[in-house]
Amino acid sequence: MAGNRGARRLVTLLLVLAALVWLVPIVWMLSLALQPNELLARTTSNVAWGLVPWPFTLDNLTFVLSQGLTPRWFLNSAIVAVSMTLLVLALSAMAGYAFARIRFPGRRIIYPLVLAGLVIPEQAVFIPLYTMFADWGWHNGYAALVAPRLAVPIGVFLMTQFFRGIPDYIEEAATLDGAGRWTIFTRIMLPLSVPAMVTLAILTFLYAWNDYLWPLVSASRPEMFTITLGLASLQANFADSEGLGRVMASGVLASLPVVLMFLLFQRHVVRGIAMGSGK
Amino acid sequence: MRPIRLVTALLALVLAASPALAQSTQISLGRFFGACDTPGVSVDDAVGEACIIQSIIDAFDAADNGFRVETLPTDWGNFYDQIKAMYAAGNPPTVHVLHSSHIPEFASLGALTDLSDLLAGAGIDVDDWTPRALEAVTHEGRVYGVPMDAHANLWHVNLDLMAAAGLVADDGTPILPTSAEELLEHAQMVKDATGADYLAADFAQFPIGVRLVMALVWQQGGELFEGDRANVASPEATRAVETIVSLFEGGFANPRLDYADSQQSFLDGEVAILVNGTWVVDFYDTQAADPNVPLTDYYVADFPTLFDVPATWASNHMWVIPSPAARDAAKLEGGLALLAHINDHNLAWSRTGHLAVRTSVLESDAYTSLPHRDEYTGTADIARDVQPVVRYEAVQDVLNRELQAIWLTGKPVDRALADANDAVQDLLY
Repeated sequence: MAGNRGARRLVTLLLVLAALVWLVPIVWMLSLALQPNELLARTTSNVAWGLVPWPFTLDNLTFVLSQGLTPRWFLNSAIVAVSMTLLVLALSAMAGYAFARIRFPGRRIIYPLVLAGLVIPEQAVFIPLYTMFADWGWHNGYAALVAPRLAVPIGVFLMTQFFRGIPDYIEEAATLDGAGRWTIFTRIMLPLSVPAMVTLAILTFLYAWNDYLWPLVSASRPEMFTITLGLASLQANFADSEGLGRVMASGVLASLPVVLMFLLFQRHVVRGIAMGSGK
Repeated sequence: MRPIRLVTALLALVLAASPALAQSTQISLGRFFGACDTPGVSVDDAVGEACIIQSIIDAFDAADNGFRVETLPTDWGNFYDQIKAMYAAGNPPTVHVLHSSHIPEFASLGALTDLSDLLAGAGIDVDDWTPRALEAVTHEGRVYGVPMDAHANLWHVNLDLMAAAGLVADDGTPILPTSAEELLEHAQMVKDATGADYLAADFAQFPIGVRLVMALVWQQGGELFEGDRANVASPEATRAVETIVSLFEGGFANPRLDYADSQQSFLDGEVAILVNGTWVVDFYDTQAADPNVPLTDYYVADFPTLFDVPATWASNHMWVIPSPAARDAAKLEGGLALLAHINDHNLAWSRTGHLAVRTSVLESDAYTSLPHRDEYTGTADIARDVQPVVRYEAVQDVLNRELQAIWLTGKPVDRALADANDAVQDLLY
């Protein structure tokens, strides 16, 4: 008994140490964000106890926040991330339900084709996708920032697998009660699939918020930048060696919504990952 | 007259009388150089690349010239990805900045407007450009851009450390090596006298190490590549690399420093020489004047000649007009007017530390009186750009990868250069 307790304490201690190691880069980023650029240009070692910023300044954070378009970039990111999340959920859930529960001609061919999207790298379709949106005149608009990311094979796969795990008799009982396909989908299947949808929503939101490459080429006008793109454009000089504090302040601000989201939904994230690994 | 007609007539009168309110042609400008943290600053008061170039653009935008400019800023690392995507979409900006090493790539695709017969009409005097600047914007005999500067590798010197090692002449200038052997002797003298490293550079991140090797190869009369032939595994390249490696092996330089680290070590007074570009001259000068900065006695020197032929790596920032933008006559006119405006402000841009490209500016008192400019006047004569190849960026990446494999992972020099040679040859086809 005592041996088990000791082993558990040792494991806990090791996990705490591992967590601290994971935290060091984040604390380091915060520490540098709170130091003067002039100092950082010649040393990043002027800290108390290794990580505590000294001297301390809020100049870098206020600089980033004071840039005229920073609120607009946050708004753009929020619009893109939220709309992408909602649309991915809708499309993936409907496709997943269809593949899992509806016997339609060609299902055995279409489903593998959809999953084949998992092995096609994004870069392979980047140029045709870009020129297609250019032909439509969509670039520098929200539609071009959101639309290319709506077809998410992993989302369809996740939802299909989840719907397949729901017992058939639930749907059969609803059918006997006179419920149509749409009613069954919206009133029964969707409420039952909340854990999977929360997982998919979080993954999609994080992906959309952190996305850089597609917004980089699609949005060339500063007012349509997302926050990742906008903050990168604030780079002060070549290699940003004279604006390290601002770079770190940008990182802190850009990651805040994501960190907040994780803190709010961490239970679902963990459950979702566990669910995904069990499938 | 009815009130509405009166108002309409008055509006028409005001519009006709005020050119500023008349319809302006909107043009766009794509650039890197970073974000200016003091927007609205005047050209004369602007400091640093971002603010100086933006103030020049803003001055054009504010002028009563019938054109309005929308700036499309991007960070350095992703500029070419974005600009090429805009070309692919058929919607590039009206004008954009370009490195001269990209001219072969863009011009060979027909992406750039041939400016040869348009510059004089726009008031740009090509004869005022230095021969090297004209060469930099020329591809197969045609002019495709307006040069803004030459930026080259310099030796930034901590005179205090050099003096402690007895490497400062009576006239106050640093004594720099004239051979590879002397380089090691000087390095040993600095180490013995001060304990400091002799030389620092970004050997671990950006291709400043590549440019250093290139300079040493050129100084021996060699080339790493020429036309469609790679020549990376040459005796000249081997000797150049071994010269640098000998500094690492002697403990006189640290190959693990990246751009920021190498700069920090120089400003912190930990190294006698920093190899970096023209773009940091004014920043280091300002830092040296700061009592909190250990670097106090700062000097800028031309890249020394260690072999036979003086040479240092250089490139040019230049402005071009994409072919699609030139199809609109009004935008072409606006683009040319903007290029002329930038050309007129060559002195203002040279406050960044870059070398001016107009002879009239280079010879002006205003230019020579800028900090340290008289210390690296020779750079204009020894500066060399890479041989024009279409896929230079990829070639540079290969060279950087293999050179870093040598000094960061201990890959044998011969094998690394042979691997680089094969990879570069594939890129040259």
